[in-house]
Amino acid sequence: MGHAAVPTVRPGAPAASEAERRRTRRRVRLRRRGLILLLLSPWLIGFAAFYVYPMLASLYYSFTRFDGISPPQWAGTFNYRFMFTKDPLFWKSMYNTAWMIVLGVPLRIMFAIATAIILTRPRWGIRVHRTFFYLPAMVPPVAATLGFVYMFNPTGPINQLLGLLHLPQPLWFYDPAWSKPALLMLGLWGIGDAMIIFLAGLLNVPLQLYEAADIEGANALEKFRYVTLPMISPVIFFSVVIGVISGFQYFTQGYVASSVASGANEASTQALGAPQNSLLFYPIWLFEQGFRAFHMGYASAMAWVLFLIVMACTIVLIRTSNRWVYYQGGFR
Amino acid sequence: MRRVLALACLFAILGIGCTGGGSTQISSIPSVSGSGEPVTLKVWSAFTGRQLAQFDHALAMFHKAYPWITVNSSGAIGDQKIIAAINSGTPPDAVLSFVPDNVGKFCTSGAFASLNSIIEQDGLDMNQFVPATRSYTQFDGNQCTLPLMADARGLYYNEDMFRAAGITGPPQTFSELTADAKKLTQFNPDGSIKVAGFVPWWGYYEDNLAEFAHQWNAQWFDANGNSAAASDPQWAAMFTWQKDLIDFYGEQNLAKFVAEGQAHEWASSNDFEIGRTAMAYDGEWRVAFIEAEHPELNFGTAPAPVGEGASDMLGSSLIGGNVVGIPRGSAHPAEAWLLIKYLATNTDVLVYLTNALKNLPTTTAALNSPDVQLEPQFKTFFDIFSNPKSTFSPILASGSGYQDPMTSFGASWQAGKVPDLQQGLQQVAQQTDDMLSLG
Amino acid sequence: MVGPPRRRVSATVRRRRFLQAVAEHSILIAFSAGFLVPLVFVVLTSLMSTQQALSNSLWPRPFVWHNYIEIFRTQPLLRYSLNTSLYAGLSTVGVLVSGVPVAYVLSRIDWRGRQVVFLLVLSTLMLPAQVTVLPLYVIFTRLHWIGTLKPLILPNFFGDAFSIFLLRQFFLTIPQELLDAARVDGGSELQIIRRVVIPVARTGIAAVALFQVLYAWNDFFNPLLYLGEIRQNWTLSLGLSNFTTFHGSVVWNLTMAASVLFILPVIIVFFFAQRVFIQGITLTGIKG
Repeated sequence: MGHAAVPTVRPGAPAASEAERRRTRRRVRLRRRGLILLLLSPWLIGFAAFYVYPMLASLYYSFTRFDGISPPQWAGTFNYRFMFTKDPLFWKSMYNTAWMIVLGVPLRIMFAIATAIILTRPRWGIRVHRTFFYLPAMVPPVAATLGFVYMFNPTGPINQLLGLLHLPQPLWFYDPAWSKPALLMLGLWGIGDAMIIFLAGLLNVPLQLYEAADIEGANALEKFRYVTLPMISPVIFFSVVIGVISGFQYFTQGYVASSVASGANEASTQALGAPQNSLLFYPIWLFEQGFRAFHMGYASAMAWVLFLIVMACTIVLIRTSNRWVYYQGGFR
Repeated sequence: MRRVLALACLFAILGIGCTGGGSTQISSIPSVSGSGEPVTLKVWSAFTGRQLAQFDHALAMFHKAYPWITVNSSGAIGDQKIIAAINSGTPPDAVLSFVPDNVGKFCTSGAFASLNSIIEQDGLDMNQFVPATRSYTQFDGNQCTLPLMADARGLYYNEDMFRAAGITGPPQTFSELTADAKKLTQFNPDGSIKVAGFVPWWGYYEDNLAEFAHQWNAQWFDANGNSAAASDPQWAAMFTWQKDLIDFYGEQNLAKFVAEGQAHEWASSNDFEIGRTAMAYDGEWRVAFIEAEHPELNFGTAPAPVGEGASDMLGSSLIGGNVVGIPRGSAHPAEAWLLIKYLATNTDVLVYLTNALKNLPTTTAALNSPDVQLEPQFKTFFDIFSNPKSTFSPILASGSGYQDPMTSFGASWQAGKVPDLQQGLQQVAQQTDDMLSLG
Repeated sequence: MVGPPRRRVSATVRRRRFLQAVAEHSILIAFSAGFLVPLVFVVLTSLMSTQQALSNSLWPRPFVWHNYIEIFRTQPLLRYSLNTSLYAGLSTVGVLVSGVPVAYVLSRIDWRGRQVVFLLVLSTLMLPAQVTVLPLYVIFTRLHWIGTLKPLILPNFFGDAFSIFLLRQFFLTIPQELLDAARVDGGSELQIIRRVVIPVARTGIAAVALFQVLYAWNDFFNPLLYLGEIRQNWTLSLGLSNFTTFHGSVVWNLTMAASVLFILPVIIVFFFAQRVFIQGITLTGIKG
């Protein structure tokens, strides 16, 4: 780590008295603090204006009844009590989001590692293949979801293929049991962003370790388990944390898919996480509450509950990471 | 897509309120007489494409009548964007909304200016509007919008198929509908549905729960303002009817059939238009679509059937329509009033829009005008519209979110996930009341 | 990558290696195909007529190349591209201008509270957008920034947590001796940043810039939220989602055509800048 704890004295400077030296040191320290503050200032301003203030404001809204047009009215803890006792879709949406995280994050990480491993062997045309693997992740989420709903249409190409193979053809986005799995596949298709991180991680595993393992006579599986995995455990940790955090905000794909599948027009309420609330993720329900029913205060309360849950999960993840994450060169 | 656009706009609305400044309602709109200095009005609507061009044509007619007022129109704008604009202080001068659901919110919050005083000042006769439109253009006596074109729903039926099955006329009750549907349905050798007599599936095309509730005269609220989901037996009757017909098809079969046809509602491969369904519940606009896309189809229209115990509802339907209003903060409220009054009341404009958009005109004068192109199938909807029982769903100050628990229940019910109907309706009633308490 | 020194190998070993190569290539090709097939559908759909795009057919009959012209006629995509470029370019400048000093302070100067500030920076990454988006919109409304590109570009001049994080990781790899030498020469911290840090970490800075450009290019939610109906300021991502009919249903073929054009620059950039990308990710420090 870099540091500049003690300013160097210019060579040739005369020796100073103790008091003078102390004064100089203090001045230098103050100047340094000033400098640090100056360099930090853009971020400090941004932090206060774009994070702290809005957070406090939305915390305030969460204790009010607020329709977005008229001024907010104080309502105490009403929104929070309602959320936990009178809103069945709050729990359902939590379940949907949790499902996506619990199943989606591990699957994505495993798939990302697998695809990254395939891409680490230098082969002819590897650059082209890497681009192909990464390509789906570059498609904008709206277009990608539309594309998938199109492909997974009950009479579309996927089911036609399944039909040829004499396999059952689920209704995918029209069947509550299959709608989330279909979105899961969308997530795996767009594995590029997670994969590339693992690619970088894998490429940085020191080769000597593999050579040493070779000398010891380890086979491929053992090399993976005892060399690769520990070496990329920080990357896994990072991906898990990011995956969980973004999983709690999973919105666009669910919303687009259920709107298209339900075929509802703007006026009707039928787009609500169709089919049968299976795609009603927490942020979507948050949105519906504010949009359809003008419950802005309630939506703010939901946002804060979400924040607290994300924080709790992240802290748990960080705490337990000490046990399985290995940092090269010891702990930071 | 519109909904995704709407979604983010929701976030736009969320939190915009902090209305430290801007809760001033336009309590009186000044009236303008004669030609003033040139004014340009900004008008927003939800129209797009061909319909937007037709709307613009109507605006051009206004400009001819009031040459000093130029109108700039923008389309594809939904309610959320309107609210966002009002809150950020950049609203248009006048607005056309597709969705009457939020009129309650618009009127009570002052998002749309109250028109009561200017109506009185101008001597505008509110009786010229078709009575059905009263239910969704004002709230609690506060008239904050005027109606402009409306929609009615009815039953479309394939005459060739009817003849082949020996059915003489369209069904008038839901039990007749079920009987006819069973006769008209054809199955494939593998058991899947080839032609469905009638699809009783919430979410399929225009099968909206609120609209069917109207045909059964099922009440959303009782006299005390609490949810009538469990107390009004018509709800249970409606769901029982639905289940019965679904079971005839087989729930899996029907779900598959619906899934296959869902994306085609607005294309020329619409299920009814290509003969995949024998009867369909649809709006008056479908007439124009069929004429344009499948002129060879022999079809008839009739008022939608009614439930047992609701025979007086026959000939009516749920009515919805566009509304025009003046948003708070409009730069030229006086001229905007001239515009919306003209659009809403001028018979020539309404006749033009009726023939062009194939929606229903909202004044009785236009309704009875000889210039309206009136195929027999289209006339059915005129009659439905004029029926005194035709109305919109209850409008609340909180919008139409109150329908969410019932809609959610309907989706579970039709999939066979609800073991006890009455208990399920109890829960709906409870949840609806709870939701109302949220404000 | 340097492997172990080559030795003369027997025919069996050579054959095994050959089969191995074939197997690996097959897997590569199979996976690539799997990833590409949906995109192939997107491209094929983009060449269909509107009606055919709704049907189950997989091959355009006929090929409607005209769609790629049509999308420019339906919406002013060139102007949207300009707006998107403005957003991407200026926000990147902002991110670097504000991020470099902050990252430097967090990585190369030892001071009490450094860890805390770093954790604060990280914590903003964890915050769900839903919590802050409401009041943020109010702020921008009061500033009359709604409908312009300002809410998209200007906040980046006040620091962006992801970029700061990434830059910090890059700066951590700068050898201490270089900095010490510069200090001995009597340079102020700002000069050190300019003369030592930036040149040495230029690949990292390039990576951060690349990430920001990509983020801005693909950003849908923020432009949607802040640009509203002011069409002349729309970005490409907004235009992309707007190929709808008057009933709000998607015009599939045009949407897919626009999507193809939308991701083309990104593909090209990625293909040539792969190494910068990968290096960028390497140095998030996640490897430890």
